[in-house]
Amino acid sequence: MRNLFTLLFLAFVMSMHGFSKDNPKMITFPKAEILSEYTTRIPFRLIDNLIVIEAELLDQKGNFIIDTGSETLILNKVHFKTRTPHNRKSRVTSGVNAVIDNPLEKRLREFIIKDLILENKKSDVINLSHIETSKKIHLLGIIGYNILKDYEVFIDMYLNQITLSRVDSKGKRLDQRGYLEKIIDTVDFKLKNHTIVLETYINDQKLKFGLDTAAEYNQLNKRTSKKILKNFFPSKRLMLVGASGKKIEVLAGKLYRVKLSDKIYFAPMNTILTNLNQMNEAFGTSLDGVLGYEFFRQQRTIINYKKEKLYFVKFPLNKQ
Amino acid sequence: MKPIIKHILISLIALATWISSAQTDKGYRFEGNYVVFTFNKFDYEKFYHDSSKEKIKFEDLDVDNVVVAGEFNNWSKYDWEMLRVNETTYELRKHINDFKDEFTWEFKFIINNQYWAEPSEYDSNIKLAAIKGSHLNVYNLKMDTKAAIPDKKGNVSFRLKGYEDAKRIIVSGSFNRWNEDDFKMYKVENGWELKLDIKPGEYEYRFIVDGYWIEDPSNPSKNTNEFDEYNSYINVGKYVTFSLKGYANAERVILTGSFNDWNESDIEMEKVDNGLWSLRLPLPAGKHYYKFIIDGKWMLDPDNPIKEYDGQGNINSVFMVR
Repeated sequence: MRNLFTLLFLAFVMSMHGFSKDNPKMITFPKAEILSEYTTRIPFRLIDNLIVIEAELLDQKGNFIIDTGSETLILNKVHFKTRTPHNRKSRVTSGVNAVIDNPLEKRLREFIIKDLILENKKSDVINLSHIETSKKIHLLGIIGYNILKDYEVFIDMYLNQITLSRVDSKGKRLDQRGYLEKIIDTVDFKLKNHTIVLETYINDQKLKFGLDTAAEYNQLNKRTSKKILKNFFPSKRLMLVGASGKKIEVLAGKLYRVKLSDKIYFAPMNTILTNLNQMNEAFGTSLDGVLGYEFFRQQRTIINYKKEKLYFVKFPLNKQ
Repeated sequence: MKPIIKHILISLIALATWISSAQTDKGYRFEGNYVVFTFNKFDYEKFYHDSSKEKIKFEDLDVDNVVVAGEFNNWSKYDWEMLRVNETTYELRKHINDFKDEFTWEFKFIINNQYWAEPSEYDSNIKLAAIKGSHLNVYNLKMDTKAAIPDKKGNVSFRLKGYEDAKRIIVSGSFNRWNEDDFKMYKVENGWELKLDIKPGEYEYRFIVDGYWIEDPSNPSKNTNEFDEYNSYINVGKYVTFSLKGYANAERVILTGSFNDWNESDIEMEKVDNGLWSLRLPLPAGKHYYKFIIDGKWMLDPDNPIKEYDGQGNINSVFMVR
C-alpha cells in the first residue's frame, strides 16, 4: 500500500509544473474587514463542524480551513501545482483533520493577509481532494499554527468570525485597543510543539487535552483511567469508513463534567472514544484527548500563543 | 502509512451517517425521519416544582415517569410520556412530521408530572423561558428541526425554466446536506417549481435534472465548488425587531446601520407603549452594524452587549441575523 501511494505520489509530482518560486504569493480574504494596521476580521462559515474562510490565492477563489491542529500552512495540491520535486522533505503535517506523511514542502516568500504581510512561511503542498469531496467545498488549503502563532486569534462562534490581531514576540497586541466585550475568564495552556495543551479536570482527575479548531468531534483516549471513563456515557457505535474502504468501529457518546477552571465548565460534549496513540505522535505530545468544535461552540475563545493563554468572552444570554 | 490511515479514519466521510443522526444538542437527537427525545438523569442538577417553585436535588427524587412537554403539545404534563430505556435514561420517538410548521421548538422534561428538569446556562441549546413576552427565570431547551422544509407558503421559491421533457428534478443544497432525493420540484407552466421554508442563513444549492447536476441559470450569484463548477448562492434573511428603552421623551429616533449605508433619515423608529421605541424590518442573514440617532445624537444600543470597532475606529452595535 505504501509503495503504491509513493508511486502515485511521485507520478503526480513528476507530472506537475506550475508557478515560479520567485513570485510573492499573496493570499487575500475578500470578505475581511481591516480594523487597523494590525487587526483584521474574517467571517467564517461552518461546513459541518469545520471553520472555513473564503480566500483568494494566485487568482484562485476558494476556501481555507482554520486548523490549530496543523503545524503549517497547507496548500491543496489539486489546485496548486509545484514545479520541482527535489525539495521534497520529510515532515509530518498533523492535526485531527490532516495527518499525512512526507508532504512536499514549499516556502512561501510572502503570505499576505490583506495588508498584513507574513514572510518566509513554510507551506506544505498536499492533496486534500478527499476533504473537498466529503465536505463538498472548493478547498485551497489549511491555515495552521505557523500562520496563527503571530496573532491573537479570536474564534467567535456567536458572530461567526475570526479576528486576527498581530502580537509582538512577548504576545502583546500591537493594536492598543482592547476588546469591547467582557472577558469572563482566562486560562493558561502549555504549547507543546504546535499543540495547545489544556489541563482540565473531570471530577478531580487531571487530564491533558489538545485544543484543535479542526477536530469535528472531541476525542477521548481509550486508554485513559477507569475513573475518567465513568464519565463517558456511550450512546452508539459508529462505523467510520475511510477512502480506502477500510472500516473501524468507534464508540460515540457524551463526556460529562469537564471543567477547565472554577468558572468554566462544559455541558456534556459529544465525544468519540479512540485510540490516540497515533494522534499523540502527530501532535508531538502525549494527550488524554482532543477538544474541538464542541469546545468552541460553547465558548467564544481568544488564543494567545506567545502568552500561552486562552481568554473567554461572554456569550450573549439570549442565544438566537 | 499509519498516519494516513489515522487521517482517513478521523477526518473522512463517515460523518454522513453520524451528522445526520447525531445532534450535539441536549435532550433530543435525530434518527432518520424520527426525533428521539432523550432524558438522562445525569444531564440535570436542579428540579423545580411546577407550582411551588420548590427546588430539589435529583437524589431526593424517585422517578416514576418522565414526560416531554413543549410547544408541539401545548406543554402538556401528561401526553408525551417517555419510555424507560435503562436506569438512568428515558426516550421517546416521534416522527419528523409532528414538527412540521416551525424550525425551532421549545420543550422541557417533567418528572412525575410535577418537577421540571432545569437545563443549565451552559447548555448550548437553551432559550430563556417566557410567557407572553415576560421572562421567567428559567431556561427551556430548544430543538432545531431541519434548515429547510417544503411548504407552499415558504419563504424561498426555486424555479427552473424549460426542461419540459425532464422526468425528475431535485433541489439539493447545503440546507439539506445535499440530499439527492428529498426536495422534488413539481411541474408548472414553462418549467418547474418548489417552495421551501428555509431558516435564515447563507446557502449553496444546485438542481439535479434526471441525475445531471446544474446550477440555477436564473441566479447570477454563484461560487466555485469542489468540481470546479458552480453552486448557486442564496442568502435567506428574516424580519427582526429593534427596540430602544428609556428614551420616552425623545422626539425622533432614527435607526441607521450597515444595512442602509448609514442613512441618517431613512428609517424612523416608532414610539409604542411605555415609551418604548420599536421597529420591525427585513434583514439578510449575517452580521449587521447599527446605531440609534436620538434627537440628532448618535448612540450605541444600550441593551446590546455585542459591539465592535469598524475600520475607522468607531464603535457600533452588532446584530447577527441567523
